[in-house]
Amino acid sequence: MEKEAREKLNRALSPRTVAVVGAKKDSNYSWLVNNKDFRGKLYSVQIDPNEIPGILELGVENFPSLMDIPEEVDYVICAVPRNVSPYIVADCIKKGVGGVTLFTSGFAETGTEDGRQFQERITLMAREGKLNLVGPNCMGIYNPRVGLKFSAEQPHSEDAFGGVAFVSQSGSQGSGFSTEAYNQGIGVSKVVSFGNGILLDATDYLEFFADDPETEIIAMYIEGIKDGRRFFQNLKAAVAKKPVVIWKGGVTEESSRAANSHTASLAISSTIWDALLRQCGAMNVHGLDETIDAVKALLFSRPIKSYPRLGLTAVAGGHSVEISDCFSLQGCKVPRLSSESYEQLSSFYSVVGGSFQNPIEGGGNWAKEENVTTILNILENDPNVDALVMELGTAGVQRTHEGLMQRIQTLKDFYSSSKKPFWAAQAGGTQRVPTELAREVSHELQKGGIPVFPNFVRAAAAMKKLVEYNRARE
Amino acid sequence: MKAKEIFDQVKASGRTLLTEVESKEVLQDIGIPATTTLLAKSKEEAQSLAGKIGYPVVLKIVSPDVVHKSDTGGVKLGLKTPEDVSQAYDEIMSSTKAHNAKANIFGVSVQKMAKSGTEVIVGMYKDAQFGPVLMFGLGGILVEVLKDVSFRIVPLTSRDAKQMIREIKAYPVLEGFRGIEPANLPALEETLLKLSSFVEEHEEVKEMDLNPIFAYKDGAIAVDARIVLES
Repeated sequence: MEKEAREKLNRALSPRTVAVVGAKKDSNYSWLVNNKDFRGKLYSVQIDPNEIPGILELGVENFPSLMDIPEEVDYVICAVPRNVSPYIVADCIKKGVGGVTLFTSGFAETGTEDGRQFQERITLMAREGKLNLVGPNCMGIYNPRVGLKFSAEQPHSEDAFGGVAFVSQSGSQGSGFSTEAYNQGIGVSKVVSFGNGILLDATDYLEFFADDPETEIIAMYIEGIKDGRRFFQNLKAAVAKKPVVIWKGGVTEESSRAANSHTASLAISSTIWDALLRQCGAMNVHGLDETIDAVKALLFSRPIKSYPRLGLTAVAGGHSVEISDCFSLQGCKVPRLSSESYEQLSSFYSVVGGSFQNPIEGGGNWAKEENVTTILNILENDPNVDALVMELGTAGVQRTHEGLMQRIQTLKDFYSSSKKPFWAAQAGGTQRVPTELAREVSHELQKGGIPVFPNFVRAAAAMKKLVEYNRARE
Repeated sequence: MKAKEIFDQVKASGRTLLTEVESKEVLQDIGIPATTTLLAKSKEEAQSLAGKIGYPVVLKIVSPDVVHKSDTGGVKLGLKTPEDVSQAYDEIMSSTKAHNAKANIFGVSVQKMAKSGTEVIVGMYKDAQFGPVLMFGLGGILVEVLKDVSFRIVPLTSRDAKQMIREIKAYPVLEGFRGIEPANLPALEETLLKLSSFVEEHEEVKEMDLNPIFAYKDGAIAVDARIVLES
């Protein structure tokens, strides 16, 4: 990517001024409403006299043309019909904007001749005018730091910011990632939904984010690649700089047909795709949950380079069996502890309703904060244990918010004095904890370096992914 | 002869498929060991070449119109005497003609019967989006059924070559399993790396098959080879 294009794209991704072209009552002025928390200056461009009063009521300044906006425009959201889009593209070029998102669809993805012709025309214009064109047929850019959104539910509070960029060919996967990442305590730098990617595609965004100082990890949802060789080379280069997690949509014959009508993407053999990711050292995931879990493991955990011998803790007997199953099925070991550890545990541990064989379980023993610290330190100092996984219970002391925050502090204090990887997970099932509370717990613990997973199965699968990822890169 | 010259000759004769003899000459130029294979245009020449190479020998049909030589009776193994060679020659000719009367027959290849080793296959083809790709696997029907092969996109690093050999499920066989002689892994890695740089430099190559390669404790040797050029 040339320096000038890169600087412009940077303006578009972290804009100070944004213009929405074609906001309409029919869609409840959604592009303007979604961006009401934008921290910079928001403009509207609309010439339809029926639409303008509604726009002004929102308190947004409206102009008849992009060219009339009295300052530099960093980012344009273009939501005009397909036939009007070439005029707006021309204005964007003249105005020298940082970038423009063409929300408009009806291009090559329709499989029609005029759709392809329109796409061709816009591609040529943008290429000649050196315009950073995002899309078409996409949702564009989300940047929580500046409050720029493409869906209303995308968060913009301080704990929504972080080091993960998500590059998505799909808008719904992009907004899904934005909210799920937030709910799981992962901060986002930027999300780009790029649709047909006629000018800038997955490879370009990969190249951009590899050098983006706000981004520590790149996660991607990809349906197709324009230039396979270039993607291969850029992925290798990006992985040398930061971890890349890729979720490929359309890996079967059936789903690749959907990907073709969704973003006009050509099928890629899944065998070659898997080999490519292994060869480049990227993490290969499938689905939103796996993407989120992989990002968590990479972002928050201390390195785990081979299948660890785990010291496990659980709230009760059944969970101790479940957590052992989950991790040992994924290749981890659950060893017996050293005799020193057993001696120390037996000096205070109540085995009535509990056990400390490994997993260490029995709710009552965990009620006191000092016991928690003692037990974790025993595992930390045990030579048979490489890493710790703790079940995050929801009972007892943790029922009150204060008690919960105290427990989080205890875990963080322990972690900062320890050296081994330490993960936390809940037992299976949904709605054990209200979403907002779960988010707060995950956010706090992960800030302290302890990744938190919604169940043992996902935690164990993420651990295996992390080990295999690190092994492939040896 | 240089690979480039062989390719030019093949193209000049209006072909895209190299014969086994030509394919092995290319391997020789790349520096990948292959069994010495000579072309005999007559029965007498086959007998004389067999004598020079030393018995036992293998005879194979050489024809641009025959792709799967053994399926059409075009391969005779373990020939120990000039009489064996004579009989094999006749059988190959009649069987090939029986399958395809119009087949253009260049002759037969005569090669030393290689000592059997662990059968390995290495292939190269072009993916529509990612370009040249190398494939590695063990030979034999079971592996074909299980599709136990690994792939890497050209160019390969030495880590790629190491990993693609080790990631097939049948890898323990190459380490020496239940009395099977272990394979010389560095020799296999080197084969992959040499092939990778070769296809990187020769865009006209469309497909390559080294099938089988016999892997031994002290090396590896390609026993059959097939190269297809872009048309």
